[in-house]
Amino acid sequence: MKTLIEKALEQDKFSIARLITLFEDTRSETALQRAEAMKKIKASPLARSGIFLGFTGTPGAGKSSLIGEIAPRLIQTESKLSVAVLAVDPSSEVSGGALLGDRTRVRFPLSETRLFFRSQSSAGALGGISPTTFQVCRLLHYLFDFIIIETVGIGQNEIEIKNLADEVFLILQPMAGDQIQFMKAGIMEIPHAFVMNKCDETKAARQSYHALKASLAFVRPAENEIKILQTSVRTGFGLDDFVSELLSSRERSHSSLHEKEVHFFRQWVKEEYGRWGLQFLKEKMGGAAALMQITQSFDQAQIKFIHSFLNE
Amino acid sequence: MSQKDTHTKLDHQLYDENHQATKDHPWIFRTYGGHTNAQATNELFRSGLEKGQTGLSIAFDLPTQCGYSSEHSLAKPEIGKVGVPINSLDDFHVLFEQIPIEKMNTSMTINGTSMWLLALYIALGRERGVDISLLQGTTQNDIVKEYLARGTYIFPPEHSLRIIAEMYEYCLENIPKWNASNICSYHLQEAGATPAQELAFALANAIGILDLIKERGLFDQEQFERVVGRISFFVNAGIRFIEETCKMRAFNELWEEITRERYGVQNPKFRRFRYGVQVNSLGLTESQPENNAWRILIEALGVTLSRNARCRALQLPAWNEALSLPRPWDQQWSLRLQQILAYETDLLEYPDIFEGSKVISSKVEELKTQAKAEIDKILEMGGVRSAVESGYMKSALVKSMSERMSRINDGEQIVVGLNKWTEAIPSPLLQGEDGGIFKVDAKSAAWTLEQLEATKQKRDSDRAEKALAELKKAAQEGKNMMEASIECALARVTTGEWADALREIFGEYRPVTGIEGQKLQLENERVSALRQRNDEFEKKHGHRARIVVGKPGLDGHSNGAEVIAVSARHTGFDVIYSGIRLTPEEIVQSAVEESADIIGVSILSGSHLELADQIIAQLKSAGAFEHIPVVFGGIIPKEDEKVLLEKGIQKVFTPADFELIDIMEQIMNIVESGKKIAA
Repeated sequence: MKTLIEKALEQDKFSIARLITLFEDTRSETALQRAEAMKKIKASPLARSGIFLGFTGTPGAGKSSLIGEIAPRLIQTESKLSVAVLAVDPSSEVSGGALLGDRTRVRFPLSETRLFFRSQSSAGALGGISPTTFQVCRLLHYLFDFIIIETVGIGQNEIEIKNLADEVFLILQPMAGDQIQFMKAGIMEIPHAFVMNKCDETKAARQSYHALKASLAFVRPAENEIKILQTSVRTGFGLDDFVSELLSSRERSHSSLHEKEVHFFRQWVKEEYGRWGLQFLKEKMGGAAALMQITQSFDQAQIKFIHSFLNE
Repeated sequence: MSQKDTHTKLDHQLYDENHQATKDHPWIFRTYGGHTNAQATNELFRSGLEKGQTGLSIAFDLPTQCGYSSEHSLAKPEIGKVGVPINSLDDFHVLFEQIPIEKMNTSMTINGTSMWLLALYIALGRERGVDISLLQGTTQNDIVKEYLARGTYIFPPEHSLRIIAEMYEYCLENIPKWNASNICSYHLQEAGATPAQELAFALANAIGILDLIKERGLFDQEQFERVVGRISFFVNAGIRFIEETCKMRAFNELWEEITRERYGVQNPKFRRFRYGVQVNSLGLTESQPENNAWRILIEALGVTLSRNARCRALQLPAWNEALSLPRPWDQQWSLRLQQILAYETDLLEYPDIFEGSKVISSKVEELKTQAKAEIDKILEMGGVRSAVESGYMKSALVKSMSERMSRINDGEQIVVGLNKWTEAIPSPLLQGEDGGIFKVDAKSAAWTLEQLEATKQKRDSDRAEKALAELKKAAQEGKNMMEASIECALARVTTGEWADALREIFGEYRPVTGIEGQKLQLENERVSALRQRNDEFEKKHGHRARIVVGKPGLDGHSNGAEVIAVSARHTGFDVIYSGIRLTPEEIVQSAVEESADIIGVSILSGSHLELADQIIAQLKSAGAFEHIPVVFGGIIPKEDEKVLLEKGIQKVFTPADFELIDIMEQIMNIVESGKKIAA
């Protein structure tokens, strides 16, 4: 019998799904299982080294539909290339439950093992991704070539995606906001490129395109050429260009997974143990980077931290 | 001297134009029917006509409604289930054998493929040598309510509305007695609409169509007035029959105002509110089903009592509709009700009996005021198309529906035999050999498939291809597609081919769901207890309980699935809602990728056995059958429930399980016990 991990590395969907559940597991006692799984995955010759692409933008901008078109096109460019999509939807404050509806708009060809779609609840978090999004991403990093993360898309504070994704794409729809709106938004400073979606309504699209261009000159004057892509899911306009742009991300340098681990380790301590935890991490354990250096593993670092902290 | 002086006229007496005492003609008696295949449905129609039914009302199967030929994989489990399958003109020849279509009033419940079915009807007339200007009837063709409630749409709104407009444009001079579409408020009430919403949404819908036709500018004012006169409505009548009477009077008055003020229609004949009715199915219960007979009778009164607001055609559901499709006997029983009402009672002898009632006129005013406010709101949003595309109308309906469910759950709204007086003697009506329900013979699909194959073999394939090319050209160039469709019909193009050709040009519609942002009006200890169980589940298993809710097959009544999805979130589940018209493969793929703790499947089409087999087989091949339990909900007969459980479905919910919190608790039980086994 093949193990769950072996099957996951061979892209068996249910095995991947169950591994994701392990990495989403909020109980600290499962960290050891994650550490062991991660060790085996990293050692496998089948392990990949995926790139993280963040898709953010307000609801209605058409993020899901765009992903539904883009992901199947991406895998057609190379015979073994694989893509995972992780879509985060908001949770209800009242019940804690969530309605994860992005699948309705993303219909991938069935039995295509190189495409994988998973929904996540934001579980009360505000930064546009869930507390476990990073956990799942560092798993998917070894299982897929591209990992597309679709954020909640509530508004302009979704900056956490910057620390997770190697490249961030802000999806806009024509007339989503005038020039001033564009400038006000803190989120304008994050994206690697802008995607003006729904460019089938031409006049509005042209106006917004120029408004955006003008705003960018203001908000990000130091950069000379920030990409603005135009797409339309309905007509297929600009989709191939967008795919090429995504493929070319592999040629650019990004922060390593290790650097991301350091950041999200700190985030995890903050969420679980608050300021006191952060202080402890810094003063008693020499900070996240040092701890990670010693343990060489995100999960082992968690185990070690919990152990030390609780014994204090 | 004229024969009669007005002095001698009596207030309670009806008089004709010559001042002679008279009585009204009855409305058209319809029975909604169609099943199995064209042959069986032809027999059904002919026996109905012999029994005194005066119009035909055709139910098509879901593949025909959604534009698939019977051979398509989505179609196969559905052939002949909820209506008659029609693949080509050859099927129409069989369907109408020995029925003189030039003398019939034929109503077709068809929407996404309405242009195609009308083209087939005209083609049938041409091949029979009938003068097609004599054809009378209705293609339902109301796409708005398909998006909102019924689900058999194919193309995006812009193109669907163009098809409707083109049918009006074609019919006006070619088949002037044909109702190119029927504005449906029926399905809105089934989806939970309040009377004011029913009025407002239906009228806004009619305004949308007339505005579009006006904007297209192909008619002069005289023709346009006649088009206004062709607008007809298909209305629901619920159990609150006094309010329903008032709703019908409000409809009348509002329509009169709109046609006069907005469209300047001079001729009063073209301002008349013309409508047919199917009385409410939503309120029919599965428990103590014999009580439905009384409900149907009372609901029929709401649309016949008031002469000024009396329906022009009436079709009644059968008492056992919540259990299965009706048998011929059940339909006959409902037809007899109409005949007794029209011929035995004195109903048709009087002028409007509510005239002068302060109570009625005050209630009518209230409904009108509420409806007008809602119409204005929709028009401000940019009209009915925007209100559909933004999800506004859908959300409003889902909200009304969950409020209704909550009222029934709380016992605030009494439903006899369902939430009150539930103890009863078993119904002898269910004791017969067939258990009181109708079943489609599974083998009957073979006939349909053979007929389809034979048609494709026999036809002149060059002519068929040419006809399809012409259709696509007309679609692309914005030309009226009726003639091209008629030529397709004559060339023995199939239903699937016709729809595919237009899918190529127009694309397919993917709906907004009505569930975002909705809350269930349900707060009590049981809800908080279940939320707590969900929180504890998370602590114990490291994740929230995840449920995949989906609707397989072509049946598009999405409200049941949506209410379940909303309730599940409300009680603390993570809900993956994957929408409607899914294949079993798609549902299983969602559950597998999401590593779901349970799958909830909603089915109303009667294909539950086939779908269970397919879902279970898919789960097994993904290695997930042991891990992910499946529950079914929908109209599922008792005896099939056992079969489903034997197949491996964990639980079957039927309309008897109306308490949402019960359903949710039971789902949680299954999720938890599944985890015990896995642990």
